[in-house]
This record gives sequence, C-alpha cells and structure tokens, in this order.
Amino acid sequence: MLSFIARRVASGVVLVLTISVIAFLLLYAGGGDIARRLLGEDATPETVAQKAHELGLDQPLIAQFANWVAGVLHGDFGTSWFTSQPVSDAILSRLSVTLSLVFGATVLIAIVSVVLGVLAATRRGWLDAAVQVLSLVGTAIPAFLIATGLVLVFAINLRWFTPTGYVQFAASPSGWLASVTLPVVALSLGGIAAVTQQIRGSMVDSLRHDYVRTLESRGLNRRTIVLQHVLRNAAGPGLAVLGVHFVGLLGGAVIIEQIFAIPGMGQVAVTATSQGDIPLVMGLVIATAILVVILNLLVDLAQGWLNPKVRLS
Amino acid sequence: MFNFRKRLAAAIAAAAIAAIALSGCSGSAAGGGADGAAAGDGTLTIGTIVASTTFAANNAPWANESPYLQAVYDTLLHADPDGTVQPWLATDWSYNDDDTVLTMTLRDDVSFTDGTKFDASAAAQNLLRFRDGTSPQKGYLATLADAKALDATTLELTLSAPNPSLLSFLTQNPGLQQSPATFGAADEKTNPVGSGPYILDKGATVVGSTYVFTKNPDYWAPEQQHYAKLVMNVYTTPTAILNAIKGGQINGAPLTDNSMISQIEAAQYTSNGQQLNFFGLLLFDRDGSIAPELADVRVRQAINYAFDRDAMLTAIGQGYGDVTSSIFSPDSSGYDEDADQYYSYDPEKAKDLLAEAGYDDGDITLTMPTSSGFTPATYALTKQYLEDVGISVEEVNVAPTSFLGDLLAAKYASTVMQLKAAPTTWETLTLDLLPSAGWNPFHTEDATVAELASTIQSGSEDEAAAAAKELNRYIVEQAWFAPFYRPQQTYATDAHTSVETQTGNAYPYLWNFTPED
Amino acid sequence: MIDPLAGASADAASAAADRSSRSVLRRLLGMPIAVLSLSFLVLVVLVAIVGPFLAPYNPNAASAALVLGPITPEHLLGTDSAGRDVFSRMLHATRFSVAGALLALVVAAVIGVTGGLIAGYYGKWFEGLSAWVVGLVQALPGIVVLLAARAVLGPSMWTSMAIFGVLLSPAFYRLVYSTVSAVRDELYVDAARVSGLSDARIIGRHILTVVRGPALVQASFVTGVAIAIQAGLEFLGLGDLSIPTWGSMLSEGFANIYTNPALMLWPSLAIGLTCMSLVLLANSLRDVFERSGSAGRRRPPRTGGAAQAEIEREQVVRHDGGRFADAEVLLDVRELAVGYAQDDGSIKTVVEDVSLTVHRGEVHGLIGESGSGKTQTAWSVLRLLPEGGRIVGGAIEFEGVDLASVSAGRMRGLRGAKIAYIPQEPMSNLDPSFTIGSQLVQPMCQKLGISRSEARRRALDLLDRVGIPQPERTFAAYPHEVSGGMAQRVLIAGAVSCGPDLLIADEPTTALDVTVQADVLDLLRSLQQELKMGVILVTHNFGVVADLCDTVSVMRTGRIVETGPVDEIFARPTHPYTRSLFDAVLEEIGPEGLEPVDVVEGDEERTPVSEGAVK
Repeated sequence: MLSFIARRVASGVVLVLTISVIAFLLLYAGGGDIARRLLGEDATPETVAQKAHELGLDQPLIAQFANWVAGVLHGDFGTSWFTSQPVSDAILSRLSVTLSLVFGATVLIAIVSVVLGVLAATRRGWLDAAVQVLSLVGTAIPAFLIATGLVLVFAINLRWFTPTGYVQFAASPSGWLASVTLPVVALSLGGIAAVTQQIRGSMVDSLRHDYVRTLESRGLNRRTIVLQHVLRNAAGPGLAVLGVHFVGLLGGAVIIEQIFAIPGMGQVAVTATSQGDIPLVMGLVIATAILVVILNLLVDLAQGWLNPKVRLS
Repeated sequence: MFNFRKRLAAAIAAAAIAAIALSGCSGSAAGGGADGAAAGDGTLTIGTIVASTTFAANNAPWANESPYLQAVYDTLLHADPDGTVQPWLATDWSYNDDDTVLTMTLRDDVSFTDGTKFDASAAAQNLLRFRDGTSPQKGYLATLADAKALDATTLELTLSAPNPSLLSFLTQNPGLQQSPATFGAADEKTNPVGSGPYILDKGATVVGSTYVFTKNPDYWAPEQQHYAKLVMNVYTTPTAILNAIKGGQINGAPLTDNSMISQIEAAQYTSNGQQLNFFGLLLFDRDGSIAPELADVRVRQAINYAFDRDAMLTAIGQGYGDVTSSIFSPDSSGYDEDADQYYSYDPEKAKDLLAEAGYDDGDITLTMPTSSGFTPATYALTKQYLEDVGISVEEVNVAPTSFLGDLLAAKYASTVMQLKAAPTTWETLTLDLLPSAGWNPFHTEDATVAELASTIQSGSEDEAAAAAKELNRYIVEQAWFAPFYRPQQTYATDAHTSVETQTGNAYPYLWNFTPED
Repeated sequence: MIDPLAGASADAASAAADRSSRSVLRRLLGMPIAVLSLSFLVLVVLVAIVGPFLAPYNPNAASAALVLGPITPEHLLGTDSAGRDVFSRMLHATRFSVAGALLALVVAAVIGVTGGLIAGYYGKWFEGLSAWVVGLVQALPGIVVLLAARAVLGPSMWTSMAIFGVLLSPAFYRLVYSTVSAVRDELYVDAARVSGLSDARIIGRHILTVVRGPALVQASFVTGVAIAIQAGLEFLGLGDLSIPTWGSMLSEGFANIYTNPALMLWPSLAIGLTCMSLVLLANSLRDVFERSGSAGRRRPPRTGGAAQAEIEREQVVRHDGGRFADAEVLLDVRELAVGYAQDDGSIKTVVEDVSLTVHRGEVHGLIGESGSGKTQTAWSVLRLLPEGGRIVGGAIEFEGVDLASVSAGRMRGLRGAKIAYIPQEPMSNLDPSFTIGSQLVQPMCQKLGISRSEARRRALDLLDRVGIPQPERTFAAYPHEVSGGMAQRVLIAGAVSCGPDLLIADEPTTALDVTVQADVLDLLRSLQQELKMGVILVTHNFGVVADLCDTVSVMRTGRIVETGPVDEIFARPTHPYTRSLFDAVLEEIGPEGLEPVDVVEGDEERTPVSEGAVK
C-alpha cells in the first residue's frame, strides 16, 4: 500500500508541475497590460512602465517562470500584486474558507443522498418517484438561481441568516454555522441530486445480486442486509460520483462565493485571473491541483476499503 | 496481513482533523457580521469595492482606496467637501512670485504611532518617495524638482513648472505621511504606520475581504474621530452590496449601479448623490491616424448631434444625472453653461454634416471596443443611434485585462468610456487634453489648446478662469468628445449615519462620516 | 481474405444492433416521461433551427424609448434593458445556446469516447498516459482555464464552449474506458479476433454497441451540464456580448431583478426545462438499455392484488410407498402455483399445481430441464422469489404454518433457523466485501443470540466439519480469495449453522469442478444424516438423484409429471416424459439404477455420471 501511495504522490508531483507550466503560459499569454490594470486609467505610461519593471513583467517568460519556481522551492510563493499580501497567507486563509463550504456540502450530500437513495431503491413506489423529481429539480436549476432565492427568502425577508459575509469557525462556531448554512445548501442541491441518482441506481442493481437472496435465506433482517451488505457494495459508484462532485464543488463555489460575498478561493480565482494577479493565481492553481491529487488518492483508498477486490497490491 | 481498514480510517481521521484545524487557523473574528450596523457602539461599517492594493504611502492610490489610507495616515492639507483647501499637518503656506517655490509651515506636536516625530524632514522624504514611486497619481508630483526641510517645521518645495492643482493634490495621496522609520520595511505594504486617526488591527483583518481599524488613542485631532472602530468590507459585485444593504449589515457603501437606488431607499437608506464623472464617447483619433473620417470636425460634430442624451440618461443611467456636451465638471473653473448644453438631439443635422463632409449613408464604420465593464444595453443603444444617422458600428470585444491598456496604447480610434470630470481645470488638461495626457493616446496637438493651457498654468487667477471657460467652449465646438451625461455617483448611508460627499472622490472623506441618531 | 463466417457474424451483430436501436426508440416511445421530454427537446431544436427566421424583430435592435417595457401585442415578452424585444432574443438565443452546448458535448464526446475506446481496448501505455492526462484535466481549476483562455483567445462563446468540452471529456473517457476494459476480455471479442476481424471492425461493431447505451445516457447529462455552465459563465459576466444566449439574458435579468423580475423568468424556464428534459431522457434511456441488456429484469411488482391465475389440473403419476411414507411430515406443498406479473397486468405462471411432501430425514429430489420450474418451486418455499414473482395459488405447509400466506416477519424468523438454502453458484452468492468468517458469524449472532466469540468458535468448527483444510485462514479470507469448491462448502456451512429442519439445495454441485462434486455430495449426505434434516434437492442430474435422494419428483413446464420413491421411479418410469429423460442418459447406465461413481479415483473407463445429458 505504501508503494501505491508513493507512486501516486510521485505522479501527483509531475501533475502539479505540468499544471503550473500550463497555467503560467496561459496567464502570461492572456495577461495584457497588468501593470496598467494595477494602476488604473490615471497613471502615465512612464509610471506603468516603472511598475511593470518592478513586477518583473519586462523580463522574458522563461526567466519569470524560473524565478517563480525558485521561489516556490524555497517555500516562497511570492506576494499578490493587487493586495500586497503574501500568497501563501492568502491561499491558506481562503482555502480554509472554501474547504469549510465544500466539506460541509460534501457531508450534507453524502448523508442526504445515502438516505434518499436507499429509501428510493428499497421502497420504490411513490417515494422513488418523489426522489426522482427532487433529483430533477436539483440538477435542472442552476446553483446561483437557488442561491439568489435563498438569499431573498431567508436572509432578506425572514432575516434568519445574514445574507453576506463569513465568520471564522474559531471565532464563533454559531456565527460560522449561520454564515455557511445558506451557501452550503445552495451548493449541495445539485450534488444531492446526482449522487442520490447514482446510489439509487446501484442499490437497485445490487439488490438483484444473488448473494442478497442467500443472505435473506439466512434470515438476517432486512435492515442489516440493505445497510450493511448492499449499501457497502453499491457505495462504490456513489463514492466515485461524490469525488467528482467535490472537485466540481471547488469550482462551483465561485458563483456562490460571489453571491454571498464569502472570501473563498473561488472568489479570488475570478478576481485574480481577471486582474492578472499572476503570483496569486499560480498559488491558487497549485493549491487546487494538490487538493485534487489528494482527493483522488483518498477516493481510491476508500474504494479499496469498500471493495476488497479492488485493493491494489 | 496488515489491517487495511485501520490504516485508512486513521488517514481519513487525520485529514478531517487537519481540515477543521485549517478552517480555524487563519486569523480570528472577521467582520461581515451584524455587529457594526447599530449606532451607539461606536463602530462604522462601510463597504468598498476593491481590496487595499498597498498601504505603502509612496505607491498609494486614492479614489476607491482612499478610506483605507485616510484611516491610518494624515495628509499635509485637508480638503473641504467642496474642495477648498484647509490647513492640516501644514498650518500655513505661500508661493513665491512665479509659483515655483512653495514654502509650508508644519505642526510640531504630531507623532507617528511608532513614536517617531513628524517633522519637515519626514514630510520632504514622503513627498520625494511619492514622486519616485509607482502610485497611479505619481504624475501629480511630476513637476516637483525637490523637497527640503529648512528646519524642523519649515518645508520647501521647488517646482520645475507652476502646478495650479498642487495644493489640492497635497490633500490626497501625494500628501500622505508615513513614518520614516518604516521606509523600506518588509511589511510596509500591509502594516502601515502613520499619524492618522485609526490603527490597522492586523489580527481582526482578513486581507482582501475585511479591514478592521481601531481608534488611535494618541491622535492629535480627536474631534475628527467619530467612531471607536472602523470595519471596511470588500464587496466585489453590486449584488453583494445590495444584499448587505438589504440585510442591514453596513452603515454606508458606494452604489455602482443607480438602478439600486429605489431598492436601498426601500430599505430605509439615504442616497447621497454627487457628480464625479462624465460618460460618453471619447473621439481619440482627431488626427485621423486609424480612422481618417474622425479627423474631420464635421464628422465629430455629427456624432454629437446623433444622440438623444436625455433618452440615454434614462435608459442607461436610470435618469440620475445631468445631460452634458462638455467634459468639464461644474465645480471646475472651466464650467460654462453654453458649452455644457451645446449639442441637441438632431439626427437630421447630423446627416447633413456627414453629407457635407462627403460621407454617404454607410460609408463610415466606427470600430467600438466593448468590455464587460459596461452593460450590453449601453453598447446596443450607442450603436443604434449611430446607425440611425448612417454610421455603422463594428463591435470588438476586448478582454478586461487588456481593455485599459489597449485604449491607452492608441489601438482604437474611439470608445465608450466613463472618465473623471476633474474638479480643477488643470487636472482636466493633464488627464485628457494635453498632448502628454494619458487620455489623449494619439497625442493630438492643438495650438489653441496649448496657448490656453499655458495661461491656465501660469496666469493670474482671473486670467486662468477666463482661459478655462474659453478652453471648454473650444473643446466642445471642436467635438473632441461626445459626452452623453454626467451620471450621479451615489453613496448610500443608513439611518444612523450621515455623510458629506467629497467633490472629485467617490467616497466621502472619513472624517465626514458622523453618527446620527 | 474471404471469411464468410466472419462476415456473417459481423453482419448478424450489426443487424442485431440495428434492430435493437429501432427497438430502443420504440421502447422509449412507450414511456410517457420519455415521450414528454423528447418532445420538449425536439421543440427546442426546432426553435433553434427555425426560430431566428420567425423572430419579429432584430434581436439587437435597441431603443432607448422601449427600455424594460411590459408585455404588449407587439412585444410578446416585453423588452429588456436596452429596449430589445425579448421574444426575438429568446428565439435567437435558443439557437446559440443549443449550438454552444452541442459543441461542448461533441468535443467532449469525441475526445472522451475515442480516448476511452483506444485506452480500454489496447491498454498498455496508452491507457496509462490517458489516465494521467485525464487526471490533469480534472485537476486544472476550470474557471482559471476558461478565464485565461478567454483572455488569450477572445471572449467568443464558441471558443469557451469548445474548451469547456475538453474539460468535460473525462466524464466520457472514464465511462467508456471502464466499459470497454470490462468487455475487452469477453469471449465474443476473442471470437471476433480469432475470426480475423480487424481491430477497427471489432471496436466499431462489437464494442461500440456495448458502449453506446451508457455513452448516450452520459451525453444527455453532459449536455445539461453544458447548458447550466454556459449560463453560469454568462452570469459571472464572462460571456460573449455580441450574441444573445440564454445565459446572457439570464444575467441581464438578474441585474434587473428588482426592477423587472419577469426578465429572468423566460431564460430560467428555458434553461431549467431543457436541463430537466435532458435528465429525464437520460434516465429513460438508462432504463431502456438496462432492460435490453439482460433478460428477465422486470419492473417492480405492482401493488394492489393481481388476479389469481386460473390453474388447470393435469394428471400426475404417483408412486406410493417408500420408507418415509409414515415419517413425520416436515413440508407439505399443495397445488402450488407461482406466477410473474406482466406489463399488461396479466400473470404468467411458471409453476402450476405442484404438490409434494418432504418428511423428516427425507431427501426429496426435484429433477427437470431448465425452465421446468424446479428452482422456482424451491424459492417459493423460502418465499424468496425474484422481483415480480408471487405465489398465486396453493399452500405450503411447514410445521403448522402456511408459508404462502404467513407474515414477512414470521417468514424471516423461519429462514436460517428452520429452513435453510444452499445456492447453485457459490462465488456470486457470497458478499464480496465481507470476510467469509463475518458472513458466517453475523447470522449466527442474530438468529441464535450468541456472542461473537462463541459464534466464531462454532464457525471454525463448521468450517472444519465441511472439510475445509485450514479453517482460520478461510475464516479471515474474502470470497474472491478461495476456490469455487471451498466457497460452496462455506455456503453449506452457513446453511446448516443454525440447525435448520428443512434444507433447500438448488443444484449445489452444478457449478463445481467435476473433481469436487462427489466430495460435496458426500458432505451433504453426511450432514443431512447427522442433523436429520428434510431436504429438497433441485437438480438436472439423475446421478445426483440416485446418489442422494430418497424421493424424486419429475417436473416439466411448471408441473410435476411423476413423483415417488427413487427406486420405484428408476425401476419403473411410467410417464412418457420421465422415460424420455432416462433414454437420454448415457447408455452405460442400465435400467437397474445408476451406479454412483467416485470420480476422484480417476477411473477412465467409467464415464462420470455427473455429465448426464439432461441439461
């Protein structure tokens, strides 16, 4: 198992490196006049040129990339050009915010999907139909529409929640909960729809397997069979979909973060990329890539735990 | 045979703990919560639309970041809401005869929060550093040849040419005073040390989203400190501001979209209006380098006659603002009522002018760069009016990162744009009209403009004023621009807060926020 | 090279594919939800094609006077913030939005499906490389890529959608790859290779048909995602300003949400309904393909009583006597009928008028061809019929209760403790995710109420009893780590673990190696004698009947045609069908009865009896 993890880590490193090259190229190619953007329309061309020199934008591409890599290898990801904040600080603080949203959404999705999926698969009939309909709604309505609706109803009309902003967990757990509830719900609905469908489908399939009859012939009660045995076997595909959704949530958080004014990675991704804040975007790209590598590894390990046949030697 | 499950469970548990720890590890309480909105507890919570790019005074911007800087720094001079210059760190000043040497007397009882004394030497260093820095307004001190401390309280500025707006500039970012002990410090950009009314609370601040300031207990002008704490939240979209207002979370914020005015008023907020900018077409290519047709003044005038400015104001500006044909602000010396209302909506006259200039229907195609900074409606309507008089429009979508750069690099002959209607004529000249002005990307030269500019720069006050008005009329008749209107810039305040808007700045100055009950 | 067989098989396969695609469509049209969603999507496509020609106004014709106008006869949906006619814009926007989404879909599908096919089929380095590339694409933060690409390549919607298609391709790749690599080693693919079909032909004809279904389902989902993402990008202000799309109209409506909320309504409806239809269609497609994929899967049984089937009675040949005639009756099946609900509400009976008796200590064989209903009969005693199956007539009396009508809870109590089951196929009847030991221990704890350690002790004893050489090792192993024979022994151990009175054995040796079958039969015999169980032994093999059974019932097409003690039936088969069965058995076996052969001795002159011709 250790060699498996080691291999994945190694390929992950290569991946991160490749991604940083691609991202760097893309950012510079599309950078336009970043110094001008930074200084605004009033600055004179001389000021702009001076700023560009200060940021190293007048050096050849390779040199800039080399400088950046050298910094990274020393643990220095540079400083944001647009907020003067060290990139590692910026990423960490925003990462934790986005992760708390995404983790919250993932946990919510997992719990609700399993419950709904199992119920739909075992009870069938009207419950199954209702779950299908709910799944439809969740998939069909874009998250930002849901988010807007939630803000309108719960935050502005009913005033149960604050419509914008984010409170750190460490500062006030109840405040944190209040500030993330609406965003997490908005984020989760699409995922609940998809994962529920998946679980329902694979539960229905698994329930048809021969061993279910054999287990029933032993006289085990239905709950044990469904929850311990069938769910265990059916969970694999659901877990895969959940993993895909986690990655998707990292991106999908962008719009939600904009609407709820949450200082997460998504918000900074859009702003920083639009502005051309290259050190910050590069830090972001690296952080995301590392996250994805880790997540895929965890999902594979979890699949191995669920399904002994899959365990790699 | 190892126990796969146990190891995996441990790994997952570790990851989960790390995740929770991470979410708690960066900083402590951040604002955005509901605690700022009520009066009486001494906190002012306001919204901004950009994060602070830097706190270092030598590179400091102004406008959208003025609240951050005003919280922690003093400037040499203060400006009243109408722009009148008042003493501040400098109590007295005088020019020499040819306006090239400015001598200022400074206060002797001010210290920075790190204990360093404020004196003329500190002031001189700050001025020179700004001149040599990378602030967007660095050009304001372009004519500053030298700054010297004659003694602890006397400061002498030597100029290479007269600068009629210099005193006004010293009330803004060029006048910011940072403690000399922190020049070149590693955290200069994020940890400001000034003599100002508030101190940045680094622990409570979340860079890029919430900035928290606490009262400076040793401030030398305590009557200007109306609050015990300042919280500035960054809102990147208009909707976020609107939601914050509707949720009662902030005391004040700038509105980026006047369609929100009815909404905020429904939420019991006051809209404080001012006129800051002009909005319309900039006809850069007056020499005809890329678009030969624009070299003909009749074509440019035709463009001016093509627009129904009132309709544009209603459609795009929701009716908030004043129509105008001129780029000069009513606050500036160059304001002239005739120039302001020179062009009417007259498509027939426009077509006649075009025919006179030798262009038939469809001969002229204007390339219009579009950006996501303006609504699609703006471009659609502009295009419609031009096409109605026979000028076709080709839209070219430009990426946000390149938009400004491309415009200022003279890639396009004309554009729809919103620019500052400067509070002083000299600024209008340096920003838009002189050959060296940034917004004269083709560097058009004009003898009349040059002559009038020189009078404005060096003449007596009356001469300068007369010349300013003449300049205004000239620019309008020559149709260097086709302005539509001056939009109302709105600052929203809640029932507990009152402000006075500041001419030339989208944000009221910090000391003009007062609690109201 | 002319290979008529290859051509024929390939053509047959393609003909089958054609037929099945027609039947797919037909089956789809039989599902009301599919019809609804298909019609809506067809409507959308029609609007996309024809709409712009029908639009009353130029979608970009702006007018300051008409800004945010209400619904009027001239402007069916009002006007937007630039005074443009919303209805015309919707008609044009449909074309662009649909085309954009389709572009993303096509790009994603072409890249993903091709990559998946090649990687799945050829494997090796291509697979490794593709997997890595897919991981790369997944790890790139999509929003950064789209934004940066937009800056480089311009804000055109076509570019954004094409790039987005690339980002979406992993969805197809993963799906196709797993499907193909699962099928790659299937027998029919080998057969095609051996017949000399080129790789391209194999992939095109055979493998593509396997992939087709899931890929189509995925395509439907992906299109919905593309539409939603397009709207999302526009919402962020990253759209293409020069053309109307649903997303840009939505974003504009959002900006005016407080002044004119209706502007958001139309694009929201368009986006929402289209995505919903796509998802519904995908679900229906999935249902259709699953049903065409394997026979015998039916819809869940209708609630509400289906009519009892009309059963005709036929003559049964009974031989009375035998040494169990006066023993204690364990199980008395009387006129049992089992049926399956059909789509049209009727019942198809698979077992009719079956009556048999099992006494304590008696082994009662049920012999017949495939489809004779013997397994269905066995399952009905357990009341574990597959989906859609129900007991539609008769009674099953066991220890004083009628199993056909007893409550589910009561039945569950009887199972395992009183009535046990040994299935036919050992490997698929063990839960692959749990160790063998846990699968033995758990039912014992639940049924007998003993502690885990006690259950473990008993389980180990049982494993030893059923002849497993190293019980501890097997106890800790997973089902896929043991052989078929061992797995069957484990299943036997599990069946007898709670001391049942009645054992239902469904062809317990059919799936085993010939060398192992006799041992397992011996084991069954010894266990049965030791525990004095009554056994129903389903088989198609007279050798097994001769070896183990005391009584035998011959079944044909759901009915018992002859029943009685084994010696009697073997000596005097009366019913024509029974006689024909005997005639089909190898000639070494004489009418006096079959001699059980111990195959393990490897006597080559004796043909193993387990290879009875009755299949």
